[in-house]
Amino acid sequence: MKMKLFRLLSLAMIGVAAFVAQPAQAAKIHVVATLTDLADLTRNIGGDLVEVHSLATGVEDTHGVPMKPSFVPLMNRADLLVLVGFDCEHAFLPALLEASKNPRIQYGKPGYVDCSQGIAPLDVPKSTDHSEGDVHPYGNPHYMLDPILAKTAIQNIYKALVASAPQYEADFTRNRDAYLATLDAKITEWEKEVGPLKGMEFVSYHEEWEYFAERFGMKVFGTIELKPGVDPTPHHIENLISTMKVEHVPIVVREPQFPDKVPKLIAENTGAALVKLPIMPGGVPHTETYIEMMDYIIHTLLATQHK
Amino acid sequence: MKKFMALVCIGLAVPMTQAEETNEVEQLKRQLQQMQENFDRVQREQKEQIDSLSKQLDALLRQQQAAAAVTSAPPVAASPEQLKELNERVDHVVEAQKKVRPNEFNPSIGLVGETVFSYRTKSSVETGSDRPGGFDVFQRSVELNVAASVDPFAKGYAVINATADSATGEAAATVEEAALQTTSLPWNLELKAGRFFGEFGRLGYIHDHELPFVNRPLVLDQYIGGESRTDGAQVNWLLPTPHYVSLTVGLGDQFGGDSPNPNDPGTTRHFSAVNYFGRLSTYFDLTPNWQLESGVSGLWNPKTVDRGGVILQPDGSGFAERERRLAGLDVKLSYVPLRNNQFRSFTWGTEVLYSDNRYLVDPSGNFYPSAPPPGLSAETVGSLGLYSYVTYKWHRQWSAGFLFDWVQDAQNHSDETFAYSPYITWALTHWNQLRLQYTHTDHNAVSGLQPDDAIYLQWAWIIGSHAHGWQQR
Repeated sequence: MKMKLFRLLSLAMIGVAAFVAQPAQAAKIHVVATLTDLADLTRNIGGDLVEVHSLATGVEDTHGVPMKPSFVPLMNRADLLVLVGFDCEHAFLPALLEASKNPRIQYGKPGYVDCSQGIAPLDVPKSTDHSEGDVHPYGNPHYMLDPILAKTAIQNIYKALVASAPQYEADFTRNRDAYLATLDAKITEWEKEVGPLKGMEFVSYHEEWEYFAERFGMKVFGTIELKPGVDPTPHHIENLISTMKVEHVPIVVREPQFPDKVPKLIAENTGAALVKLPIMPGGVPHTETYIEMMDYIIHTLLATQHK
Repeated sequence: MKKFMALVCIGLAVPMTQAEETNEVEQLKRQLQQMQENFDRVQREQKEQIDSLSKQLDALLRQQQAAAAVTSAPPVAASPEQLKELNERVDHVVEAQKKVRPNEFNPSIGLVGETVFSYRTKSSVETGSDRPGGFDVFQRSVELNVAASVDPFAKGYAVINATADSATGEAAATVEEAALQTTSLPWNLELKAGRFFGEFGRLGYIHDHELPFVNRPLVLDQYIGGESRTDGAQVNWLLPTPHYVSLTVGLGDQFGGDSPNPNDPGTTRHFSAVNYFGRLSTYFDLTPNWQLESGVSGLWNPKTVDRGGVILQPDGSGFAERERRLAGLDVKLSYVPLRNNQFRSFTWGTEVLYSDNRYLVDPSGNFYPSAPPPGLSAETVGSLGLYSYVTYKWHRQWSAGFLFDWVQDAQNHSDETFAYSPYITWALTHWNQLRLQYTHTDHNAVSGLQPDDAIYLQWAWIIGSHAHGWQQR
């Protein structure tokens, strides 16, 4: 009996020892990105060393991602929170941050990765009075639609990852450089492709395309919204249609989160082409990555020229 | 002997010197090798940099050549308009850099105004309402919200509200909330202390103007006393699990904002006369667009001292509360489409409350609570109440819904009140909202009150800062 007990104990001890002696799995860096473009960039830089969750799936309004309590445990465990900044996420992020009870990712902490650092904003309002709509006090936050500015975001994410896990600096550097090389090649390609679009004017639903237009030589003629976040009035739509006709504005852009009724009406009345363009990866099918999304945007705009 | 010792010393010293020399040689060799490696590395890095710069230079030259091929026009100096535009952009950037986060140094300040126009078919005597029958304009809220970080460890906020008196119209300001909330406690804890809306149920801690309908549900008004205001402290714990579970426990010396005599402690308040409350809530993503939130709540005051004074009953008897017990179950099912949730949504919310208070009963109804006559009986009254509503949003500006109320009187569960309220909301913008509501209120025979019809037009507006917190989501 004693012998049996001794054998059992020995086996148990060997089992415990074997379990303890297992090579420890390297803990991944937990990252929560507010939007899918930032999540994609983080995955490209972090590779297998990071586990990335995006709060948005791609089809949402960048200012109106639903505040789901299921985000809270994710944010509670996060080492890094990657965000657009310029108050882009003002409607949902502050409350989620408070609920997350995670001191590592609060504003001002190293885990709070504001990708707008180093970006000169466009359309900085002189006043934040609500008569101008839901204005962003720091300027237009939609800089991710400019791939050159996306490179600043990449650098901000890279620096945060290195600060979070300096032992993997070489891996992050290699991944970043490889991704930048790919992106640079695509930027050269896009800049060549957009030739026919240079100087072309277009109307969008929301003030989402200012950075994109500036990068690729297009012009934003106006928005369907009366002011940011404020629905159009009939008078505004009427005015927009008549001025578009006078100026021969050829394109109406609808972002996926907005209804198509008014953009369709404007396009029908002006003869402009109506296109649905994503504002982040996943916004329309086959745009799962940042590069795929930019490809889609440029090729869709170009396709309007062949009609 | 001396000679022998000298020889031994020399004998020892020679090999030691030889060893030192050998070490020195080895060290020099290593240094040389290291320097060689460093030299190679620097040379390699510099070559890489030179290659990279050469590539960049080539690319630039190619671009310039391509540009020159397209146009042979000489470079044009910047026009005054271009310079002006550039200056404006620089100014804007400087302006942006000057701005600080709204709550970083200065408190964010916002003001909410809310006016309710109404017409009721019955007088206040017939309906038991604290507002008059007929035409009424009620300035329900002039609410000042102030919030800022106190230090790296806490934030503070205050809500000062002025409500017009129904008789005089005078709007006296009261402190609805003024509390400190920690922001960096360990173990997923958060402490709130001061005057605040304690966590019980789902709409109890929502301010009037943020409700999905015009009036607070009857069951919350009657069992809680309106908003769940308390002077106390509460701790919230986010359970460290992958699934969202939140637990809140707290205590306060009263609970509920509207009671005329919250809870008189006399000269000494013992812990047995304090309100203890708590809520456990969880959440499920049914699909990416459908969500379910649920919670259970409890409130207990083991020894209340005549909260609300002596409550006279229709049969002439008087009730004086001695113990307060309240339990609640709340459910919210929402359809929040990811793609266009600003334009379309659906919510079904229900809250069921069970009040189980213990009263001292005087059949004559004229006893004095501070010195009740001997021989009075105690009675525990179990009463139930609920509200249930649906709201459908079909446009960024438009939504409509229906609210059903049913409540048994907390002192007499045979006395029942029902209310049916369809409502439609026009949110011109996020800061300017109108709501039209019709309410039919009915009572059973026990209450002795008359059925009533009412039309409400609520106009709520916001200026300055206004952020929805986690509880108002």
